[in-house]
Amino acid sequence: MLQEAQTVATGIAGADIALAAKYIAAGLCMGIGAIGPAIGEGLAAAHALDGMARQPEMQGALLRTMVIGQAISETTGIYSLLIAIVLLFVV
Amino acid sequence: MGEIYRQLGGLLEHLGQKRIAVLHLFGAEIRFDVTAIIMSWIVMALIILLALWLRRGLRQPVEDKPNRVQAALDMLVDLLKKQLADNFASERLAAMMFPFVSTLFLYVLLSNWISIVPYLSSPTQDLNVTFGLALLVFFISHVLSIRLKGVRRYLKGFAEPYPFMLPINLVGEIAKPLSHAFRLFGNVLAGTFLVTVVTAKFLPVVLPPILNIIFGLFFGAIQAFVFAILAVAYINVAVEE
Repeated sequence: MLQEAQTVATGIAGADIALAAKYIAAGLCMGIGAIGPAIGEGLAAAHALDGMARQPEMQGALLRTMVIGQAISETTGIYSLLIAIVLLFVV
Repeated sequence: MGEIYRQLGGLLEHLGQKRIAVLHLFGAEIRFDVTAIIMSWIVMALIILLALWLRRGLRQPVEDKPNRVQAALDMLVDLLKKQLADNFASERLAAMMFPFVSTLFLYVLLSNWISIVPYLSSPTQDLNVTFGLALLVFFISHVLSIRLKGVRRYLKGFAEPYPFMLPINLVGEIAKPLSHAFRLFGNVLAGTFLVTVVTAKFLPVVLPPILNIIFGLFFGAIQAFVFAILAVAYINVAVEE
């Protein structure tokens, strides 16, 4: 008599693959997403420093504008962080 | 030593949980996040109480030397007026919108700062709060635009400078409140999250106050200022000729 073949679970199941993929995706998302804002904010600071060196009396206005520009440039990095958090804790 | 870490582990679980109050109204359910609402009211009460308390320091004759309260409030009003309200396109608009922009700035500032107190959380940690504020700015800018330019010029403004830019302009208009809300929400949530994870998993003693100062006070103030000045910029763009 033929018995039903039993599938024995060895190795990786579907849920494990999903968990591993979640962690890898969250790490990649935040890792790659951190490159852009860092470069952009460094450029903004560099040009602000150029301006300050050229006209030291405008230091206050230049500093404020630099901070605002950097905060806006940070936005896409925050979007990546949100997606990483959602991947880790919600999905 | 391990006991402390086990107790702190509860902090992490609490981060993902929300208390939701459900209101059944005419067959539909409306859901409220109780923590955000209660903290929002606490921040509002704090602003009003601070204003009433600081008023007492202002009660002295004008000829006397300004005391500390006057000097501090002078700096605050100078910041609100010169950095925020004077960036408006016209003086009439600046005078009209000064209370709104100041309140926006103060509310977001205090709600970002209140998260450093141990058992309290920011109302701006909830996307609903930040999205509500961004929608407020969105509606104000469009209503002011219609009032100042008239309906026809307002509608024609979407087809500027070329008619094929219409979908691009529409997407841009929708993206503004979205990015406005997500920037503030993401920054505050990420700050709270980082401090909680470091406290619960890494080092509960020396590091949390330092991180709270950096993420809560410094970045919170910067994000509040960026929120307010972007509100000014959006209203300016909507109203410009």
